[in-house]
Amino acid sequence: MSNSPIASRRRNNELVLILMAAVLTGGAYLLASLGKTSDIPANLIGFLVIVLGLLVVAHVATRFLAAGADSCLLPLAALLNGIGYVFIVRVDVRNRLAGLQSIWTLLGIGLYVAVLVLVRRVPDLARYKWTLLFLGAGLLVLPMVPGIGTFNGTNARLWVSVGPFSLQPGEFAKVFLAIFFAAYLAENRELIATGNWRVWRLNLPQPRDLLPIVAAWGFSVVVLVGQKDLGSSLLFFTLFVVLLWVATERAAFLVVGGVLFATGAVIAWRVFSNVQSRVTLWLDPWSQFGGTTLTGDKGRQAVQAWFAFANGGLFGTGLGQGSPNKIPAVQNDYIFAAIGEELGLVGATAILIAFLLMIGAGLSVAVKAQRPFEKLLATGLTTILGVQAFVIMGGVTRLLPLTGVTLPFVSYGGSSLIANFALLGLLIRISDSAARRNREIPDLPTLSERLAARRLRRQIVRADRIAAKPASSTSVGGSQ
Amino acid sequence: MNRRIGQLAIGLMVCYLALFVSLQIPQMFRTKQLNANPSNTRQVEQVFDKPRGNIITADGVVIARTVPAKPGDRFKYQREYPAGELFANITGYFTLANGASQVERVFNDTLSGKGIPLRNLGDLVGRTDPTGDVYLTIRADYQRLAAKLLGKREGSIVMMDPRSGAILAMYSWPTYDPNLIATHNSKEATKQLEKLFADKRKPLLANAYQERYMPGSTFKLITTSTALTTGVASPETLFAEEREYLPPQTTDPIENYGGKSCGGDLREVFRRSCNTPFARLAVLLGGDRFVQGANDFGLNEAPPFDLPSPAASFVSDSGERFEDQVPVLAQRGFGAENVQLTPLALAMVTATIANGGNEMAPYVVGRTTDRNGTSVTTTKPKVWKVAMTKSVADTMVDLMIGVVKGPNGTAQGRFSLSNGIQVAAKTGTAQLNPKGQEQRSHAWITAFAPAKAPQVVVTVMLKGVNAVISAGTGGRLAGPIANQLLSYAVLNP
Repeated sequence: MSNSPIASRRRNNELVLILMAAVLTGGAYLLASLGKTSDIPANLIGFLVIVLGLLVVAHVATRFLAAGADSCLLPLAALLNGIGYVFIVRVDVRNRLAGLQSIWTLLGIGLYVAVLVLVRRVPDLARYKWTLLFLGAGLLVLPMVPGIGTFNGTNARLWVSVGPFSLQPGEFAKVFLAIFFAAYLAENRELIATGNWRVWRLNLPQPRDLLPIVAAWGFSVVVLVGQKDLGSSLLFFTLFVVLLWVATERAAFLVVGGVLFATGAVIAWRVFSNVQSRVTLWLDPWSQFGGTTLTGDKGRQAVQAWFAFANGGLFGTGLGQGSPNKIPAVQNDYIFAAIGEELGLVGATAILIAFLLMIGAGLSVAVKAQRPFEKLLATGLTTILGVQAFVIMGGVTRLLPLTGVTLPFVSYGGSSLIANFALLGLLIRISDSAARRNREIPDLPTLSERLAARRLRRQIVRADRIAAKPASSTSVGGSQ
Repeated sequence: MNRRIGQLAIGLMVCYLALFVSLQIPQMFRTKQLNANPSNTRQVEQVFDKPRGNIITADGVVIARTVPAKPGDRFKYQREYPAGELFANITGYFTLANGASQVERVFNDTLSGKGIPLRNLGDLVGRTDPTGDVYLTIRADYQRLAAKLLGKREGSIVMMDPRSGAILAMYSWPTYDPNLIATHNSKEATKQLEKLFADKRKPLLANAYQERYMPGSTFKLITTSTALTTGVASPETLFAEEREYLPPQTTDPIENYGGKSCGGDLREVFRRSCNTPFARLAVLLGGDRFVQGANDFGLNEAPPFDLPSPAASFVSDSGERFEDQVPVLAQRGFGAENVQLTPLALAMVTATIANGGNEMAPYVVGRTTDRNGTSVTTTKPKVWKVAMTKSVADTMVDLMIGVVKGPNGTAQGRFSLSNGIQVAAKTGTAQLNPKGQEQRSHAWITAFAPAKAPQVVVTVMLKGVNAVISAGTGGRLAGPIANQLLSYAVLNP
């Protein structure tokens, strides 16, 4: 804990905002229960205590481990997670998901604290960039390993089962790859930007400088396309192009990225039948709605989502008063439609604004950060969060074709929730680090640094002692 | 790099703005269309999983209610009409796939709870049942008696309170059982509805106020009051004894009923229901005054009613058109040719006379309440038209008493109320086919009691669908029905 006035103001703001998020979550929980069964839930007090308890744990960890960090990020995540939890309880027919989601939240907050404990200095991460790259790549191919990879019945292969647990390693891979991209670009951005490889009349970056990152990116996109996980491939692609553009400050990368994306999209559309079907469903879900077979009824999600939005109208049906369960698997990709139905355009817009505020907070962390690696990492993590939320909400409202990704913090799903809390932990860490660099709070040494300093002092003392021994013959001067 | 990060922020903001705009399409612009999509069952399902208020008669009989659905039903609640056919034209039906009708439709907000104001925080969070009840002015006992007396004869009965316009009974046969349409088995319900639609007798329509019939001699009420109001005639005006009258512009004479000779002062010709004097009165009035007289009763427009789609009666669209069609005017003077009245309209005309010339707006819903029985709305009686002065109305009452009491009155001896309470009435026998063809006629009677302090108006119409009804007259066929209803109503106010 720090005694700096800036830090304590930030943390106090955070506490107030967290309390507000908890009150909103508790109120929504109460209303959803009243709307569904006209009863005050018996476990309301317990629920509130647990919600508040979890958030207070995260807050206290931040207070002790990252006192100077931004004060909005954690409350916004808490709000989104709380609203998402209320909707998962509400659409949970078999009373199974709500309990699991609260375990995932617990684990997520645990990982958040763990990230703050383990990653005390951001540059440490850059040292492990190659390890993280291979870890991320390994995670990506994991679902394809026979025996543990599972096919979830639809058309994407994203899951890994170990005993009773199954997880989506891709969710974690995106954080690892963001760290690698940021670290590599922070080191080599000038080389890439100046580009002294002349091809005809263009100055291109040396292939040697660009190769590792292109290879990493190409590998992940190819793997994900192979798994037919279009949402994640789109996400990785965007992450890569955005980081390259921000790091080099050359708009050409954006243009090249756009062209590559368009080409890739056309090829994917030509080659993959499920891409074609996604596009057809996007343009005209009605043509595949109401059939008696699964294929004849592929448009059900999209059409029912629109029905849900229409049923909600401006102010929504009220919590617990809509019929979001008419949307198949509403708790995953389509949770935003359930929010639109029961909270209306007003509530859906509030969710949009919450994500926009998170993006704003994340990018302002990036702007305030001093070291290129921290800047790029904050940018990358924020891009992942913002673009993923945009892609899935756009898919639900039919602004874009649907690509199956989760709505960060809101959707049901352990891997996604836990990975996003880890992402949040990193952003908080970068933010705190920037505050220290900008001398907003005193930059006190961490425990490990103090231990290291102590070791160093002892070594020096020992070395002095050795040097002081007249009999020593190994001394080669210099120590005086 | 900060500039790029700023640009990235703007880019993402644009993306989210696009998201916000894309939300408008289903949530603002195409809401109605999407909600109305036949594949979209959200709204009906939300409705059928919620309770709904009762429809209750003035004497406290619940005639529409919501009960827990049978096990295995798709929804929690089932709408039920305990009296079956009896009140179908008033309550209407409330269905899954076929919408709602009548009170169920017009008072949907009260019944579903949308129209009930919030009073406290408990209401806000939905702890209390928000639905409301609708109390009708209809008397279940009157309605039951009317249905029993009409039996399986095609026709309509309307009873109303002339002082307020409150409808006390309104029944027509054939009708239908709303329970068959309210079933959650949409296929079965639609089949039933299609069958009812195909029925030429229009059982789905509330014939008492949505169908128009030739009024026959009952229309003389309007011609007479117009003549009295304009001073064209007085009760003492004499009409020559004649078998037929040849209006100008034609060679086709107008005959009295049964080709009889008929004449005397206005009291006598009214009571005997001669045709020629009223044809002459219409011609004397001329088109403009004649049509104005009908308009004073609101007969060329739909009355204000709290049930949906009341039919407008028809006398004439304008008075001018009669200038070169005097024979038509003469015929309409005694309710022949193309004059069309709803049974409700005739009841309203009668009630106007009984009420001293003030025509009250009719209504069936007396008040609405919330679940605790507190009134939310109460219908205040309203004067719709002032059709005549009190003195003309008094004269009309005397003329109508003559029909029941006087020598040769068309309803003479048809009414015998306890304590010698006097009834005032007018009969009608509307001949539907021209001379020479098989005779078909509607039998009408419209009456009220007590004549000097009117409490209740009864209008009975039997459709001339067969020879038995067509062979009778309004006084002989419809009179006894009106007599029993008035006897009961006066004894059980």
